[in-house]
Amino acid sequence: MSVTHLPNTHYAGLLATATTSKIEAEADWLTSLRERAAAEFNVAGFPSPRDEEWRYTNISAIEKSQFSLSEKTAEVEQALLDEALLDDCYHLVFVDGHYQPKHSSLTGLTGGVTVLPLSEVFTAGKEQQDLFKSLLDSVIEEHAQGFINFNTALFSDGALVCIAENTVVDKPIQLAFISSQDGALKLSNCRNLIYAMASSKATVFETYTGVADSCYLTDVVTEVVVEPNANLTHSRLQAESLKAYHIGGVYTRLENNAIFQQNNYTFGAVLSRAEIHANLSEASDCTLDGLYIGCDHQHMDNHTRVHHNQPHAVSNEFYKGVMDDKARGVFQGRIVVAEDAQKTDATMNNRNLLLSERAEIDTKPQLEIYADDVKCAHGVTVGQLDDTAIFYLRSRGADEQMAENMLTFAFANEMVERISFKPLRFKVLDQLLKRFPQAGMKKEWL
Amino acid sequence: MLKIENLHVRVEGKDILKGINLEINAGEVHAIMGPNGSGKSTLSYILAGREGYEITQGSISFHGKDLLEMSVEERAWAGVFLAFQYPVEVPGVSNIYMLKAALNGIRKHKGEPELDAMDFIASVKSKMKDLDMDEKFLYRAVNEGFSGGEKKRNEILQMSVLEPTLCVLDETDSGLDIDALKIVSDGINRLRDPARAFVLVTHYQRLLDYIKPDFVHVLANGKIVKSGGAELALELEDQGYSWLEDKKAS
Repeated sequence: MSVTHLPNTHYAGLLATATTSKIEAEADWLTSLRERAAAEFNVAGFPSPRDEEWRYTNISAIEKSQFSLSEKTAEVEQALLDEALLDDCYHLVFVDGHYQPKHSSLTGLTGGVTVLPLSEVFTAGKEQQDLFKSLLDSVIEEHAQGFINFNTALFSDGALVCIAENTVVDKPIQLAFISSQDGALKLSNCRNLIYAMASSKATVFETYTGVADSCYLTDVVTEVVVEPNANLTHSRLQAESLKAYHIGGVYTRLENNAIFQQNNYTFGAVLSRAEIHANLSEASDCTLDGLYIGCDHQHMDNHTRVHHNQPHAVSNEFYKGVMDDKARGVFQGRIVVAEDAQKTDATMNNRNLLLSERAEIDTKPQLEIYADDVKCAHGVTVGQLDDTAIFYLRSRGADEQMAENMLTFAFANEMVERISFKPLRFKVLDQLLKRFPQAGMKKEWL
Repeated sequence: MLKIENLHVRVEGKDILKGINLEINAGEVHAIMGPNGSGKSTLSYILAGREGYEITQGSISFHGKDLLEMSVEERAWAGVFLAFQYPVEVPGVSNIYMLKAALNGIRKHKGEPELDAMDFIASVKSKMKDLDMDEKFLYRAVNEGFSGGEKKRNEILQMSVLEPTLCVLDETDSGLDIDALKIVSDGINRLRDPARAFVLVTHYQRLLDYIKPDFVHVLANGKIVKSGGAELALELEDQGYSWLEDKKAS
């Protein structure tokens, strides 16, 4: 339920005057789509805490900060690139929301696979333009949401990824979004479209990093279509600057017998929100894993929505959170089982660890079940470290801080261990170890 | 090595230990026997430093230092080791990692350098072989999903890796079948050393068939009501504890 909320004049102004955001040789149909989105934004604005779906997350700081659009001039330091890029992947690199060909590499890309920056889509062939048109705005079910309209009206770049039928991509495709020094107080609007055609198999990573302590806004929307019998793994690693804002969404349609695995790792940003939505057709299989680790004053909001629309689909959702200091974590997970979706098998688990008395977790699982022959289970816990285990570790010679760190690390590492692609696992592990420097953990011991 | 004097302990307003006196020297093996609820496990936890116990009177010195002033980890660094009656499961922390973290914690405290990883693993593996433990246990989470016997063996493995000077074994024989009991007892006997003392806390005499104690103490109603040599355990086996409890009551 969206609540009408006056749009912010700064951002409404951006929509009215923005020309730099437009894609080169943009087609009229896209301009019309942007105008419709801008008109909706001008009515509803950004979501407010009065909106039930946003009650735990107040984005007024984004409105006050008045981020402006970034230019395509940014250079990025090698150290930041090294930190961002994963080994053994194809890379498409975006700096401050703009494609950077010199850091990207698609050499040796499997035949039948299209990986194209959206800024080049209208200068590419008709086939790519048709693909783009058919995918854009085809999965999102919630047009009134302010950040989506904002993104549709303004996106300047992003990735189009299409895997042809019966094609297996030999390496993961990484879409790396990096914010440079010049990106301070700027906003990046990217749109990604990922299309796994029938019986294809691919892995796509989205990573978000930025210059340390730089303040910027990332507003990103990813639309995903997984056709019958296709198998898509999609991971997003949000490791933005600790002063940045990040609003992201992954909207997915799974067709019959499709397999989709989504992993969502949140470490960065002072305020972040990730929407992970999946619409399931018959006998599709959807896994949603998440990990969010918050310190200081970080606010991390994870919103998942799984719609079982047809029979025999399976969904497994497992999110873990650790909140320290004054950090606040939010998990709102909703499973909807439609009347026709008999034999649905759905589980949702959310486990949280609070390390400080001033940290907070708001967790809200919601099940809406309209079918009668289904298996649905959900579990939610918010707890502290196990005193008995701390005593046990200390009695063996680990000091108190180390014992606490070991247990916290172990709690979170359960999600990291699930990552089969090693370069990503180590990247996520690096983020985790940064949070627990006292643990003295070494990768070789894991 | 260890001197307990007039130790009184209260838990949740209830007196559990009511004046324990016990002196243990290096190289000795002491068995502490007694019926359920006599305070045996409380004594073990007090030595290891568990919270939740109120010490109302008395003192414990260890190598001349005030043990009660030391934190849990300081006791471990100083050479105290408790083999738990119910070893704790630590999901997500591998056995090998915990062993290394524990041993390096102790070595660091002694001013010794960290162990070389390969040497360390080789040494742990040879100790596992002695305890008839599969190497795969190294990489499993500490005690998670272990059977009762596997957990007890794992305690002895930790003990043999950490090489403490005071080994307190709380009901180590419980949950062990006869084969496992032999393996665990052999493991303990291998560690017997003139510089090391053992406190075996046990309800039954059967562990003492394999590990011969120098002294046996009977704990009943929070006090040591009788002390003697290894033959006292056999006497208890024949007659049970009631004659001692009755004696105290009268």
